Amino acid sequence: MRYRGLTRSAATYGIVGSLAGGLAAVATISIVASAIAQSTPATRGVLDVTHSPALLRAPSDPAQLVYDAHCAATGVEDPEAPCHVAGSVFVREPGSPTFREIPLEQVEVGRARLEASLPGDLVTRPALEYFAVITSQDARATVTVPAAGAAAPTVSHRLDRPVSVALGRHRFGEAQRVGEQVASAHWGDGPYEIGLEEGRTSNPIGASSFDVAAGGSVVVLDHANRKLLRWSRGSRQPERTPVSVNGTIADIAVAQDGSYYVLETTSRDDRNPLVRRFDDAGRELEAVETAEGGPAQILMGPDGPLVLQRPSHHWMPVLVAGVPASQAAQRSRGRGGRRLQAGGEVVVHRVWNELRLALLVGGSITRSWRITSETPLGEVQLAERLGDRFVVVLRIYDDHADEFAVLQLDRHGLRSRTYVASAEWAEGAPLGRFRVAGTQLYRLGTSPSGVFVDRFSLEVR
Amino acid sequence: MTTRRVFATAFAAVFVLVFAGTAGGYHTRFVALNCNYASPTPTSYITRDGSAAVALRARHEGYQWAGGCWNDNDKDDSPNDPTTDAGTGGEGGDCSGFTFKVWREPLNTSDPSFHQWGMLRSVHGPYTAAAFKAGAGAPNVTASKSSLIKMDALASESHIGLVYAANPDGTDQIIEAKGEAYGTGIWTRTHRGSSSYGGVRRVGWS
Repeated sequence: MRYRGLTRSAATYGIVGSLAGGLAAVATISIVASAIAQSTPATRGVLDVTHSPALLRAPSDPAQLVYDAHCAATGVEDPEAPCHVAGSVFVREPGSPTFREIPLEQVEVGRARLEASLPGDLVTRPALEYFAVITSQDARATVTVPAAGAAAPTVSHRLDRPVSVALGRHRFGEAQRVGEQVASAHWGDGPYEIGLEEGRTSNPIGASSFDVAAGGSVVVLDHANRKLLRWSRGSRQPERTPVSVNGTIADIAVAQDGSYYVLETTSRDDRNPLVRRFDDAGRELEAVETAEGGPAQILMGPDGPLVLQRPSHHWMPVLVAGVPASQAAQRSRGRGGRRLQAGGEVVVHRVWNELRLALLVGGSITRSWRITSETPLGEVQLAERLGDRFVVVLRIYDDHADEFAVLQLDRHGLRSRTYVASAEWAEGAPLGRFRVAGTQLYRLGTSPSGVFVDRFSLEVR
Repeated sequence: MTTRRVFATAFAAVFVLVFAGTAGGYHTRFVALNCNYASPTPTSYITRDGSAAVALRARHEGYQWAGGCWNDNDKDDSPNDPTTDAGTGGEGGDCSGFTFKVWREPLNTSDPSFHQWGMLRSVHGPYTAAAFKAGAGAPNVTASKSSLIKMDALASESHIGLVYAANPDGTDQIIEAKGEAYGTGIWTRTHRGSSSYGGVRRVGWS
């Protein structure tokens, strides 16, 4: 008997060969998979330190620095197993050549919290500088906070004579209606639409962030579709510029020369996220790896873009002398305050339902405010100098509602306040919702139908 | 054609086809190749610090819709899985599976006790993000957002993340299994103030 030209014997050999080949492939894959599984290292040690820096201290604040040192011993998966940590805080008055070492003490044996009491003679100074070094032998790791240590310590300023502003209890639902809509687009993947990362069935993420370019053009980053949409002043139809971003939540800042800096917040291959610079045609000019793994925001400073990086909580430059900065150069130039294009440096520090705000010139506080609220305060979206005023946008929330308060502050206190709806249907960059250009405040909003940018006047009558 | 040649040809062809087909899909087979179904270890107490350690070991690992198994080699072993397929068997938890394991909950929703699951134990748990937001299950309660501290959670109808640290600008660092393109990590978020998010807390922390 013949099967398509083969003898029965040859066909049998073919079938046996096929079975043997399949079995050999499965066996090979199993051996490879087993080798991969066995090559996965035993549980690694973990040491991660969080610290909310005391950027602006009130005289009544406890004279203590607090660190949470989360530790898990190498080779031990039980998360409750002991993992010992030890460390010190190094403190000095600005200008002093040496730091004083203060050992950190564990608040409770076996817990992550470490504390150090500040020396009485330093607490009363207008400013002090500090950093911490924390080590765990069990985790085989050492962490310095902020990362550059003595080269760029945290600077803590004492608020001696702030202007007090009491916002009282907030009534939701009285937000100002839209000033003027200057840009809008529907959700979608069309050339003039803005994309949602995974469509409408998932947590909506889209329209990452925006900025206002010189001349008043509004630029919205559509990270999901990897493009920019730019509305020239007075135009209803945007121009489209493809950009090679990685497609996850990102922030954007437009430079004076018209180039775009996009801060990505994710990365692959054990590297930190990138800041990518594009020209106005969308060509990538350069990419700079951020110094730390958790960058949160990018804004233009007087000498180029600045990135707020965590866990140091420092604003770090992307460029030094006009060229891309190495990670070490970024870290060593980090500052708790943000240098402003309008001059000086702004420091924001929210402590529960109180926002502390200071304008520094030459490293010293020239004006400061303490803003208190009976309704919980969320994040500070914007703090910019506007002539002799300061514009602050911060979120006010409870368990059912949220709105943004737009406050204008001067040396006497609160000059004006306005509330605007949060208009936040989709998630974007955490601090990419508001920008100031001239005397106009711009707000990026999202709804189930699309994206829009509103413009509000900040003129005070 | 000799019988020997027929055997060799068939062997080679099937070997290549099976190997290529299976290995080509390797990135969707993390669970099959690495994970287990071992029983969890009941424990008499859990601490927020311990749960932070569980979460930190998952940091930099992958995300898998409906998943809950990861190693701690600090890389996503199943990148670029299709986002619409819950059955690809990739590395990582999804947001609610990650929360379930970090909060060390039992599968029985009426039981508030503590169960330690190994990293490589493949388990998602019975809760969606929306269920967590509603405080469903004996181990979970809703809580005022302004009262949330480390390792409490912020949940919307479609996502949940754990509060890891407070930032001086009023944002939070959230540790979360964010999505296929993100993996599991720590990011700055404004969920606390957003009205689409509610506060959730694991009961019984020591």
